[in-house]
Amino acid sequence: MYKFAQFTMVRAGMALFTMIFVSFIVFSLMELVPGDCAERYLAFKNTQGSPISIAEIDSERARLGLDRPYVVRWVDWIYNAFQGKFGDSCILRVDISQLLGQKFWLSLGITLAALLLAYSIAIPVGIISATSNNPYLNNSLRLVSYLGLALPNFLLALMIMLFSTMVFGESLTGLFSKEFRDAAWSFDKLMNFLSRAWLPVIILGWSATAFAIQTVRALMSDEIGKLYVTAAAARGVSGSRLLLRYPAKHALTPIINSLGFDMNRIFNELPIIALILTLTEAGSLLIEALARSNDQQLAGAIIFLLTATIVTINFLTDIALALTDPRIRRSIIG
Amino acid sequence: MSSLIDVKNLTLQFDTDEGRITAVDDVSFSLKAGQVMGLVGESGSGKSVTAKALMKLNPSNAVYGEKTSISLHLENERIEIMDLKTTTEMKVVRGGAISMIFQEPMASFAPAISIGDHMTEQLQIHTDMSIKKATEFSIEMLSRVGISDASTRFKQFAFELSGGMRQRAMIAMALSTKPKLLIADEPTTALDVTIQAQVIDLMKDLVDDFGMGIIFITHDLGVIAQTADDVAVMYLGRLVEQGTVRDVIRTPAHPYTKGLIAALPRMDDLDAPLEPIPGDIPSPLERPPGCVFNTRCSVAIAGKCTVEIPQFFNVSKSHKVACHLVQQEAQKT
Repeated sequence: MYKFAQFTMVRAGMALFTMIFVSFIVFSLMELVPGDCAERYLAFKNTQGSPISIAEIDSERARLGLDRPYVVRWVDWIYNAFQGKFGDSCILRVDISQLLGQKFWLSLGITLAALLLAYSIAIPVGIISATSNNPYLNNSLRLVSYLGLALPNFLLALMIMLFSTMVFGESLTGLFSKEFRDAAWSFDKLMNFLSRAWLPVIILGWSATAFAIQTVRALMSDEIGKLYVTAAAARGVSGSRLLLRYPAKHALTPIINSLGFDMNRIFNELPIIALILTLTEAGSLLIEALARSNDQQLAGAIIFLLTATIVTINFLTDIALALTDPRIRRSIIG
Repeated sequence: MSSLIDVKNLTLQFDTDEGRITAVDDVSFSLKAGQVMGLVGESGSGKSVTAKALMKLNPSNAVYGEKTSISLHLENERIEIMDLKTTTEMKVVRGGAISMIFQEPMASFAPAISIGDHMTEQLQIHTDMSIKKATEFSIEMLSRVGISDASTRFKQFAFELSGGMRQRAMIAMALSTKPKLLIADEPTTALDVTIQAQVIDLMKDLVDDFGMGIIFITHDLGVIAQTADDVAVMYLGRLVEQGTVRDVIRTPAHPYTKGLIAALPRMDDLDAPLEPIPGDIPSPLERPPGCVFNTRCSVAIAGKCTVEIPQFFNVSKSHKVACHLVQQEAQKT
């Protein structure tokens, strides 16, 4: 138990270090974008018709603290970022936490739900298909998997929208009905959200599931063929105990490992789905910030949150791995 | 003393995409309690498949011959292993009355399960010991096979033990349920020579202590000479020669056994050239007709060995061989 606490502490320290390191990279990338927040804002104002002067830029710069040295600004940024304060958006002049608001949590929720859906289907199905000799079961699973892998998400989203518009007369777009869009969170709003959020979750979960089934199946088939399974059977271990305690437990390690990777992939696919289903979520905001308005402050905040999520997921999966696999425990604390 | 296990007409085929492959062909042998039988042959000769058949451990595409019968004689009951259908019924021969140890001790322990958990699990399946009792007993077994600091080792994982220690732990685990028969499938092949000698000594001591029978599978005739009472030589799924170790190693009769012995390096004459058996063991998909060894035999009788399957012929009371040539020569005199 002591060793495990030690492992958790060391791993948490590593996660924190990663976060700081990543924040430095993110901050540096934000800096590398030509121009700074002051110039960009005033340029934006200029396009609205008000002329600007060098003096105005300088005073704006001083106001934003952009005249301080690079490292000082980084430390300041990261110090606030860890408290969830990202300052104002360059262009919109609104507090970023307010701008992002629930959007980030909605994206995270949808991504995690899709991930959960994918693995709660893939793990049992993958195990069954790896242990079964039934050619019909395996071939139909393969077909479903290939469909999942080959059918682009956006096409699926469009097809579902078309179908639901024709059948139900509603396109199922958006995360909330009109009356709830700006309402405060309430039970009704939550129900309304859940009645709509399942669609992006299923669309995103669909290909993730197909992918995960293949992974689980391959890993299980691999483990089942190993000598320790035969040896366990030779000792009289049988039935589901032989399956779950031996190959399934050992296949779990790489499966847990792939969670962080899949999470990232789903998050990347989310903006496309969001665009089609007109969802308001953080991924689309990131694209908006990066590609259109060139709002480095906002983009940095979203990237930081995204990295923090992935680092957290990796931290949690490592803790889970250490619980299941002694070799991982020993690899860090010796 | 009556026999512990009788294997009669064991024939085993595998259904594969390429058709039905014969892995074991009409193999019969018996073993008495307290005896060690060596099962010798090259890789691919069907030794391991034969051993696994005794626990019905072969994969589900295995098809047993109709005449196959394997009977295990316990103190007051007789078990027909071929009649065991469900895995619950098979428990008696899987880790109960029969235990098996494998060639690679590292791979036979699950990497993420501690040595101790493996051991107590087996005890829980086969005995009514409590966890506490099973733990104490397992630690006692570990010390008994010569593992020092057994209570620490008990909590460790296979990757934290040395090769020799792993195989000792495997032996301790295999013997913990006091089996009547121990199947050792190349238990020393993956070990250093010095460790190999230790493990063999340990196994010999334990046979005496526990009074069980051992089937010792190996391709190493040197190991057999040290450990076994009887030896059976297997080639391409058939037994070609059987007898006491003394008879078979001193006066090998079958050309294959002779070849195996000639292929051993000789410590007393290091300059003597090794005489490998020419060629490779044929694929089980292309079993030669007649004597299975005829494709590599330098003394094969044309028109006979390629046509007719040789039957066992008694060279002496404790030594029999399946070879047309030996039989012909014996009949001439």
